[in-house]
Amino acid sequence: MLDKPASALRIRERLIESERLMEETGCYDGITELHLRNEDPLKFETLHTKLRAYCVSAREMARRISASPGVREVGEMVVAIYTPEGDAIALSNGIMVHVHTMSRFIKWMIRNGYEENPRIRDGDIFANNDAFIGTVQVPDVMDVVPIFHSGKLVGWAGAVCHELEAGGITPGGDVALAQERFTEGLFVCAEKVGENDELRRDYVIRCERNLRMPIYWVLDEKAKVASCIDMRESVKALIDEIGLDYWMQVSKEFIEEGRRAQLARTRQLTVPGIYRGHTFYGHVTKGKPGYQPLGDPDWLYNMPIEMEITSDGKIIMDFEGTQPWGYHSMNCTPAGMDGGMFVTLTQHMNFEGLVNDGAWMATELKLPPGTWTNPDNEMVATATSWALLLPAYGVFQRLLSRSFIARGFVEEAFVGQVNSPMIEMGGTSQYGTPFGMAHFECAAAGSGALAIKDGLDTAYVGWNPESDMGNIEIWEQNMPMLYIGRSIVPNSGGAGKYRGGCSFLSTWLVSKTDHLRLVTSEHSSRVFDNGGLCGGYPAPTCQKHRAVRDSNIFELAEKGAPLAHHTGTNPYRSELEVRLEGQHVTMEGPYITAPHKTGDVFTHSYNGGGGYGDVLERDPVKTAWDVENGFLTREAAQGIFGIVLDEDEEGFPVANLEATKRHRAEMRAQRLARAKPVSEWVAKERERVKAAGFVPEVRKMYASAIRLSARFTKDFSAFWDVDAKSTFGVE
Amino acid sequence: MTSYSKEVIADLVGGTLPWPQTRRIMSAYKDDDRFFKYVAVLQDRVGWSDPILLPVGDHLFICQSGDERVTKCECGHSFGDYRKNWKLKASIIVRDTEESLREIYPNSDLPDPDWMEIRELICPKCGTLHEVEAAAPGYPIVHDFEPDLEGFYRDWLGKPLEPLNKGG
Repeated sequence: MLDKPASALRIRERLIESERLMEETGCYDGITELHLRNEDPLKFETLHTKLRAYCVSAREMARRISASPGVREVGEMVVAIYTPEGDAIALSNGIMVHVHTMSRFIKWMIRNGYEENPRIRDGDIFANNDAFIGTVQVPDVMDVVPIFHSGKLVGWAGAVCHELEAGGITPGGDVALAQERFTEGLFVCAEKVGENDELRRDYVIRCERNLRMPIYWVLDEKAKVASCIDMRESVKALIDEIGLDYWMQVSKEFIEEGRRAQLARTRQLTVPGIYRGHTFYGHVTKGKPGYQPLGDPDWLYNMPIEMEITSDGKIIMDFEGTQPWGYHSMNCTPAGMDGGMFVTLTQHMNFEGLVNDGAWMATELKLPPGTWTNPDNEMVATATSWALLLPAYGVFQRLLSRSFIARGFVEEAFVGQVNSPMIEMGGTSQYGTPFGMAHFECAAAGSGALAIKDGLDTAYVGWNPESDMGNIEIWEQNMPMLYIGRSIVPNSGGAGKYRGGCSFLSTWLVSKTDHLRLVTSEHSSRVFDNGGLCGGYPAPTCQKHRAVRDSNIFELAEKGAPLAHHTGTNPYRSELEVRLEGQHVTMEGPYITAPHKTGDVFTHSYNGGGGYGDVLERDPVKTAWDVENGFLTREAAQGIFGIVLDEDEEGFPVANLEATKRHRAEMRAQRLARAKPVSEWVAKERERVKAAGFVPEVRKMYASAIRLSARFTKDFSAFWDVDAKSTFGVE
Repeated sequence: MTSYSKEVIADLVGGTLPWPQTRRIMSAYKDDDRFFKYVAVLQDRVGWSDPILLPVGDHLFICQSGDERVTKCECGHSFGDYRKNWKLKASIIVRDTEESLREIYPNSDLPDPDWMEIRELICPKCGTLHEVEAAAPGYPIVHDFEPDLEGFYRDWLGKPLEPLNKGG
């Protein structure tokens, strides 16, 4: 029989023992000494780097098998190698959020008796996209294969691709309209989908008959299986070389080393203490087609986060005080929350590439039951978890950054990630066939600023540090829309001494279809879902959508007249309204509406990042360059940053340093004249709070947080000197 | 062990170090002697002599001021005991109208002031903008950071702070 673990214990007992040893010793699997590293550090490091190379190489190979532009173009994939108990030893670059979610999936199978039924054998392929078992959202489909050597289970190889189509109630993968799991699409719940290194035909048929565009999912499956087999064979060859006993010991030492390295790095880069921050997210769906009346349609989410860095270097994140789960697709499971923590740590503290599950073990998440971070109902939808997850971990990045600033590592301080709104579509393609897909150019938002420079323009998302928007021509091959514009959005980064990175906006002409359903998600309404740091402003991230139905664009093109290529900088009259005739639409919240057809024009904006530092300290010369290149407008340079620009002989902007100095002195004086003492403001606001003088959604937010959190209630009551419960009518 | 001169740290903090050099510092192993060089750079920058114990913002520092440990603006204004939230002693501008929000966001869609306001927390003496909060109306002002100052110096830096007779 091949289904025996390498130790004398069955794998389930081995997992329990490993956890007991961690509990007792505080070290991974009871590894209190790194014997192999101490014996031969060079061999130790070489082997770890080799494992990393197996992962990177397997991922690159697999991307060439995929048919999905999400995987091929923008790299929505990650692969990793695990211990028999399911702890990550080494991983590739890519969507690293899933390294730990996949770990949860493997452990879930072990805990649920998969060794006995359906059995774990050499050549088996297991797949999962159930977030309560271990993933973030339904499109994140993971495949793992066991690695056997000498008849013993010695590890796992795993791979995840983000699928562009999941067969849910709305097309695409981040199924915006899902309000319960039953409308999220095709679920594969820790299922054995292949044997003898081959995907089962009946599983492939199920995919083909339940997805709008099965070619993406099915070829991604083949890509993932190929990468897993590639890693498995590499590991087996390595074990032939170093011996099985050495492998079993060294793989654990790698993880324990990762845990220790994370603690040491925290002590090296940060300052112990309590850090706090928050952000918000507005969900507005009232009156939109398709939403079932299961709960309130409009919802304001508060996301307060308290981070403690303990004296031994452990990072503890506490989400107490946030909102309950809801009948929408933005809930998140603990697996997703873990994944968010993991991908943030890999970027901010473990960027040398040898990170593994050990880093995650040096952290702790406190996820209050019943909240969106830890729903006490497994029927909830999680298809757009990122809507809340990204802003929340943007707060984490700002909290960590304050610790870097306190410690002096200013080059690591980063104002953080933002949501990058998703657009998905389905209907009839330009080839006359049914289709569905997520457009993944969102993998290139603006980043928050750094404490020493501006943020990255159109080149960062939190979930994949290897950001890429993909080529226009590739996207046009896959959807019935043509680009008539892809433009930097001026002033879209948060203002500051260092501004946030700018976002871009795409403008499309619907082409060669009479039925195109467009759906958007993961963009906040009515509130910004990000922040600035040290005086920097948040980026403007509550964008609406603008479209023109039945436009006259073909007539204009025929005449050679100017077309609209972006929405422009006039917030009261967009370029679409200036240039195009037709039915103009401006929509708040998720774009869910009747199908579009040839001749319609649609725009979709991504998000910029938050700013750092006082705006009045921004470099005038750099600002002139920003204006020249369209990242800032002249109006913003003068009005927000206090920078007076002249023009050179060729009409290019040039900073007038003397006039800027005078203008900034005036602005500073105006600031002081306009400001009032906080104590005065608090006294006045207290009257409003006492009367609960807020709109219903704000009152509901407070009441919900008070119901779920004694700490929020206590802090709110103490700050305003009110009884929070009676103020908001909470029993 | 990686180490940089005080001049390099000063340029890095000031944002004037050339990018290739900055990039190398970002990619290299971190310099364990950074903290005290960093504090020395900042001490040179401020126009007062109270020793800086911990920077907590771009222009905000916890410093030893006589027998007390206080949060101070770079201009010298004191916000009082470092264990208290300095924001409560600051000045504030609240942007909760379309007109005032439009001043900062000239061409984008604006938050609904009934759902969110922008709060600017300012030094009452010099007018430096120290922090911006984007919060729902009625949301308590956040106490951003409560450092374990004594534990940091004692356990992490190995240089315990002098005990205080009063204050922090």
